[in-house]
Amino acid sequence: MRVLVCGAGAVGARAARHLVADAGTEAVLVDDPDRRRRAAVVASLGGKADAADDADLGAADIVVLTSPPSRQVAIAKRAVAAGRHVVSTADSVGAVEDLLDLHAEARERNVVVAVGAGFGPGLSCVLAKHAAGQFDSVDEIHVAHHGTGGPACARQHHAALRGVGFDWRDHSWRRRPPGSGRELCFFPDPIGGSDCYRAALPDALLLVPAFPGVSRVTARLAATRRDRLTAGLPMLRRPHAEGRIGGLRVEVRGRRGHMRDTVVYGAVDRPAVAAGTAAAVTARWIASGQTLATGAAGLAALVEPLPFLHELARAGVRAAVFEGL
Amino acid sequence: MAFLRRALAAVGIAGIIAAVLRLRGSGGTPPQSGGWRELSGPGLR
Repeated sequence: MRVLVCGAGAVGARAARHLVADAGTEAVLVDDPDRRRRAAVVASLGGKADAADDADLGAADIVVLTSPPSRQVAIAKRAVAAGRHVVSTADSVGAVEDLLDLHAEARERNVVVAVGAGFGPGLSCVLAKHAAGQFDSVDEIHVAHHGTGGPACARQHHAALRGVGFDWRDHSWRRRPPGSGRELCFFPDPIGGSDCYRAALPDALLLVPAFPGVSRVTARLAATRRDRLTAGLPMLRRPHAEGRIGGLRVEVRGRRGHMRDTVVYGAVDRPAVAAGTAAAVTARWIASGQTLATGAAGLAALVEPLPFLHELARAGVRAAVFEGL
Repeated sequence: MAFLRRALAAVGIAGIIAAVLRLRGSGGTPPQSGGWRELSGPGLR
């Protein structure tokens, strides 16, 4: 396969590295508006990699979008129109909505648009699907995120804390004020407990279509007091080049026979590393025809969770279960 | 004028109370039992 990676930041560089290491990859083309960074990433990847432009869609079979979410939609539209598969790591509500709107055209052109194929959303959707396999029916899914990857992810975290959140409750969408609904969520070690709040997160938009009949889906974001106090202001300082360790917590409640039960899965990793790995594995699955459907959807609707999680674990991204509920 | 001052004072106090309520403390109780275990085995359970 030939892959065009648009965005050579913290996530894109990791995704490109995974793809270059794959025997099935013929070439990895890297695009980034920052030409110096693009050249540095290409040089670090070896002979299979080359610099490219997002206008070079025809040269690739799959387009992996790891640029900031606002830049992804236009490229995705052109890629789908050109009959190319798309893997997007978009984590903003607006970009995810716009990418999901490509579903009909993607189905018509028989291509896959994997939306939110990163750490959160992405791995969070796969963990929800894996947990759902233990139930006869799923009633509720609650996702919590902790930490950020590269600068674009940090900016998105800041923006999410001032955007309206969307909860799925009693089979309808509810708009929730950002910073409300505080919940103390426990992530796998070493993160531990962290206060999480409603925010403009796209998880529910991706999970609800994948779980017909689910009555509640919520997503929360870990935030400090300073994060919340300054959410309405521009970012007061430049975001870090890459955040520290981040985490996911996915709680699924459902019915097994006459019993109601809860399963809690989680993961900790550097978010940019895990997101790049998930995006690369998704691209590989699309190339090998392992995805379950065509069209635009989240990973919960596109991949079998067990083999996908096994492949992520082989690449170093491991999930955990909370025992003792 | 007095009415305006009182209104501004009321709005200011309400703002301070709202800020305190928004930022104060943390809630919830840590789990009293159990813990995290890495998913393992062919079924990743």
